[in-house]
Amino acid sequence: MRRLRGAAVRRQKTRPPGDASGLAGLTVKDFEGKDVRLGSFWEDGPAVVVFLRHYG
Amino acid sequence: MQLHRDRDKFAAAGARLVVIGQGTPEQAAHFRESLKLDFPIYVDQRREVYEAAGAKIATFDELLGPKMVARGGAVAAKLGVFQGKTVGHPAQLGGVLVVLPGDDIAYSHLSDDASDNPPNSEVLAAVKAVAPS
Repeated sequence: MRRLRGAAVRRQKTRPPGDASGLAGLTVKDFEGKDVRLGSFWEDGPAVVVFLRHYG
Repeated sequence: MQLHRDRDKFAAAGARLVVIGQGTPEQAAHFRESLKLDFPIYVDQRREVYEAAGAKIATFDELLGPKMVARGGAVAAKLGVFQGKTVGHPAQLGGVLVVLPGDDIAYSHLSDDASDNPPNSEVLAAVKAVAPS
């Protein structure tokens, strides 16, 4: 069962950006469904941005 | 959840903790309530942020290979937290960025497989290295 729906067929490489300018204008939703601009998180100080693979 | 346990350390170092998951706001709210987390969880339903951050899609082996199962099981047993139902893309991997005002990235770790997560101590050290004294 080497195929998992949605899994990549070939190994990919991660592509860390050189800076966060491409991220700053994107939006995420808070748990009430409200849009929040990503760049607002680090406007006033450092932000540790964690992208979860799954919950738990 | 290890982030929750160390949230005060990140705050003391002057960093804001921003946790982003997949799925819907309702699923994020449920996760937050079930684990009694007191920091907000945001969702990137279209995975645009994951894409822009350079996070990758895993192969089967990178998700469920022996190393991943062994490491994941050990961590879950130690913390008493087990993976819930997968929401969003089942093979989307994550990562961590430390971003500064001006959009500079002081630290990045994008997961290469499902067990590849940086220890909080490493991320915290990166924050402290750039925090104003």
